[in-house]
Amino acid sequence: MLYDLRRSDVRVKWLVTGLLATLGLSYVFGAAMVALYAGFTPQSVAATYAGAEMSMLMPPETTMVVQRPMSMADFAGPEVHTVDTKLLIQDTHVHVPMYGLIAAALGVVVVGLSLPRRRALGLIALLFAAPWLDFAGMWLTKLVSPRFAIVTIAAGWAMGVAYLIVAALAIHQMWLSRERG
Amino acid sequence: MNFLIRAAAIAAMLHITPIVVLVKRPDAVRALLPGADAYVAREVHLSGTDAHRLHETVDWSPEDGVLVFYGGTAGSTSVGALEFVRVDTPHGPIEVAVGFTPQGAVRGVVVTKATVEMKPWVLEAVAAGLTDHYRGLRPGGAPGVPGGAAGIAGRAGNLAVYVAGEVDKGVARALAAYGAFYNHVRA
Repeated sequence: MLYDLRRSDVRVKWLVTGLLATLGLSYVFGAAMVALYAGFTPQSVAATYAGAEMSMLMPPETTMVVQRPMSMADFAGPEVHTVDTKLLIQDTHVHVPMYGLIAAALGVVVVGLSLPRRRALGLIALLFAAPWLDFAGMWLTKLVSPRFAIVTIAAGWAMGVAYLIVAALAIHQMWLSRERG
Repeated sequence: MNFLIRAAAIAAMLHITPIVVLVKRPDAVRALLPGADAYVAREVHLSGTDAHRLHETVDWSPEDGVLVFYGGTAGSTSVGALEFVRVDTPHGPIEVAVGFTPQGAVRGVVVTKATVEMKPWVLEAVAAGLTDHYRGLRPGGAPGVPGGAAGIAGRAGNLAVYVAGEVDKGVARALAAYGAFYNHVRA
């Protein structure tokens, strides 16, 4: 195959290394943002995406009022960041194209790796499937059951693991392997 | 490759920046319910008909169909109520706190949250006197949106005026919700 990262020009290797480093940095801060806004437990992810919509899908027949005392500490308490349907539509609209481009960029790196065809196909499939499942989990959590939060968590980890596999293989084959050109 | 670069640039431009807290909620509560020493949260779960009526009035449905008002009292005297209203914009959400006097007029407005991108626009709008334009407004007053954006049009940049228009929407929603549902539904 013409495109082989082990034997490619050093400029190509440098470009791929820069891409991987930049994506790695964005993944680290992506994880920090998830920790800040949604958390890593099924309960916190369910609270973010399912919200109150799960408990009260239908409006009451007549408008009703529930009143409860509040203290100033309640106002200061940590707010659960919630993502309602409108915001999830917006999030899906802006994130999925970006995830697709990241998966495509990492997929192009995978194509240049020396890997058995099936493993390469599997890795490319994982790169695209993980973000699909990430958002599928969010939508299922919102629309079907909070138990689907686990899908989002698993998919988020799968995105990280897929990136680490690609990055490790690429760095090894480009810069450390004995067979490199 | 050219397509990929263009697509990445477009996707990056569309990406909504994270939300930042401009004023903490307790600080907004202290400013809008001055002197209060006890608070109550009044959650109004709207029926389908009432939710539709509110939507027809201000083109808005509260999250999960629930309006939340916070009332404050000093001893046995009411000092008013406030609402936190979210406005979704193409640049992400902002949150506006609107406080009312016991007589039902707007006591003050505080923009509590915005996205990183919109924060400087909000600060410029507030510095241009945006929130002064809402003081004294009452539900059922003059039709149309509150005139905050129009009020700062000559004194602030286009983006500040734009975000002031979004704050206007938040205030209009708070006025409509307060006027129709704060005192008219029994707990």
